[in-house]
Amino acid sequence: MESLIEFFTFKYPNIKYVLFGSVLLAVSSAIVGCFTFLKKKALVGDVVSHAVLPGICLSFIFSSNVLGLPEKNPLILLVGAFLTGWLSILVIDNIVKKTKLKEDTATGLSLSVFFGVGILLMTYIQKQGGSAQTGLDSFLFGKAASLVGDDLMLFAVISIILIAVIFLLFKEFTLISFDPSFASVIGFPVRWLDLALTTLTVLAVVTGIQAVGVVLMAAMLITPAAAARFWTNDLRYMILLAAGFGAFSGIVGAYISYVAPAMPTGPWIVMVLSVIALLSFFLAPEKGILFKILKRRRIQQMILEENILKLFFQLGEKSKDFDEPRTLDQIVDKRPLDLRKLKSGLQTLKKQGYLHSSGDSWQVTEEGFSKGKRVLKLHRLWEVYLTKYLKIAPDHVHDDAERIEHLITPELEKQLEALLEYPDKDPHESDIPY
Amino acid sequence: MNELVKNAVVEIHDLSVSYDRKPVLWGIDLTIPKGSLAGIVGPNGAGKSTLIKSVMGLIPLNSGYARLFDKDLDEVRQRVSYVPQRESVDWDFPTSVKEVVLMGRYRKIGLFRRPRKADIDAAMKALDMVGMADYAKRQISQLSGGQQQRVFLARALAQQADLYFMDEPFAGVDAATEKAIFNILQEMSSQGKTVVVVHHDLQSVAKYFDWLILLNLRLVASGKIQNVFNRPLLEEAYGGKLTLLSEVGELIKKEEFPGRE
Repeated sequence: MESLIEFFTFKYPNIKYVLFGSVLLAVSSAIVGCFTFLKKKALVGDVVSHAVLPGICLSFIFSSNVLGLPEKNPLILLVGAFLTGWLSILVIDNIVKKTKLKEDTATGLSLSVFFGVGILLMTYIQKQGGSAQTGLDSFLFGKAASLVGDDLMLFAVISIILIAVIFLLFKEFTLISFDPSFASVIGFPVRWLDLALTTLTVLAVVTGIQAVGVVLMAAMLITPAAAARFWTNDLRYMILLAAGFGAFSGIVGAYISYVAPAMPTGPWIVMVLSVIALLSFFLAPEKGILFKILKRRRIQQMILEENILKLFFQLGEKSKDFDEPRTLDQIVDKRPLDLRKLKSGLQTLKKQGYLHSSGDSWQVTEEGFSKGKRVLKLHRLWEVYLTKYLKIAPDHVHDDAERIEHLITPELEKQLEALLEYPDKDPHESDIPY
Repeated sequence: MNELVKNAVVEIHDLSVSYDRKPVLWGIDLTIPKGSLAGIVGPNGAGKSTLIKSVMGLIPLNSGYARLFDKDLDEVRQRVSYVPQRESVDWDFPTSVKEVVLMGRYRKIGLFRRPRKADIDAAMKALDMVGMADYAKRQISQLSGGQQQRVFLARALAQQADLYFMDEPFAGVDAATEKAIFNILQEMSSQGKTVVVVHHDLQSVAKYFDWLILLNLRLVASGKIQNVFNRPLLEEAYGGKLTLLSEVGELIKKEEFPGRE
């Protein structure tokens, strides 16, 4: 608790840098990442983040050897990172355009070649001695905790640029992500817009990399977008939500690294993002796994209940007495249902007012009778439809009707009845009850 | 059989296109008069979509040109509309029906600006014309194939163009949608708008179109429907494949042969 207060009242100025730095980085990469995600270019982030390494090393060599600056200058490093990051995208595009190689190969090639050169240069700088002091190695795995005031200013400026450009070109970016050929036909400068979007992606990566490093950067870009996509079908909300996820993980990451000094900020940001993504994956309404499982179970329950009522109707058909009470044995005799499921189904139907019970025997109510009748009617109508319109043999239609009888809506029911002109008999000569 | 008209809305001259060096359209010459409801018909792989894509400037040409309203495409973009194949976009994209139709207004709105009230009116009117006004707020992922096609048509209508190119608007739609789309196309053509449609169902060709373009890697015929829609020309387009032409095409691809300049 104490640490929480310390943290959020910024007891030490360093807390402020790390917190705001992490949040800015996470938010801007999350926003840009939404478009990267929708353009199905998830791997671009990975390539760029690896490809900035040679740029960073080259500009370090340049600034210390040519300009003679003793420390790392964030702006010069950023420019170098930006250039090689950009170049890697250009390389991919040209390989795809000019050779027979496909995009996945070009992506793999570009990533590994740029990263290889980067490692080479990094080793060279280390041999010269001094990379540890300059904090250059923090680019490899990220080191948000080492953010200082100068870095923060730079990040803030870049984040504002990113957000402003996306706000201004929201309509255009949406169109080129959804339907680029239409954009080109109406005369939008698709090439320039693509270029702008790529530039934003590279910018986001180049800044984000200082917090989480080369390897984890792709996650910062794509994970918030992927998680947000589960919750909404509206791009605007998706972007806001992704930004929110980014901000939250930035705060948590910064806090954890403050409370437990051995804990790194960047990886924690990515951890939190991943947990959010997993939760979304399971819990989101409509698209989440849990929702789907529940829905499937609800449908299975409905099928069971309808089948029980249908059984009562069929038993009544046989004995010509629909009101006769039935025992469990009689029901199972007609159709071998799982006894436990049958019992729970009977109880539910009783609660819903479709069945009465007295002692061991069960009896349908007026409503239960109508419902059972309807299901059986749909079953037999569907069998007629299959034999008549799909020319399926009468001995092959039963299983399909067992499923479809539970699916047909009242509107389809009317259509089916009208189309078949209320037939009396199904293909097996059983009466169709109306 | 190639009827060339004066003052054509679409004039294609010596147009050749290749994919990955392999020629897919050879020296196409044709014209389409104003107010036509024109069908482009031919077997699979005949280059029908390629033809309208290249007229729309989406594919680089090897030779020739296409002029619309006797001008370059760039000068008349606001008068031209293009309906791509339904499958060409991801219908799982997080956006609504209304927003897709609004895209038809983007050229009029211009870069950096937001849609104005009038644009929203135009989009809603277009949606109403295709019978989808009730679906304006719907997410596009919830639409059936026929509804998707109607949304694409509404987007084109919202452009208020004079010339429409449509890539298989009748593919995979239900009977009601097919009829609704056809009625709209007919209405457009009676208003003097020109509609060019890539089509694959020979059965409905005579009923739908008044101008017909038969294509199979080269132009087989182009002209009034009554002059083109006959057995010998259809057989020429669909029947005897020009094996020699395909083989030469393959050879050009394999031999790194220089393309036409």
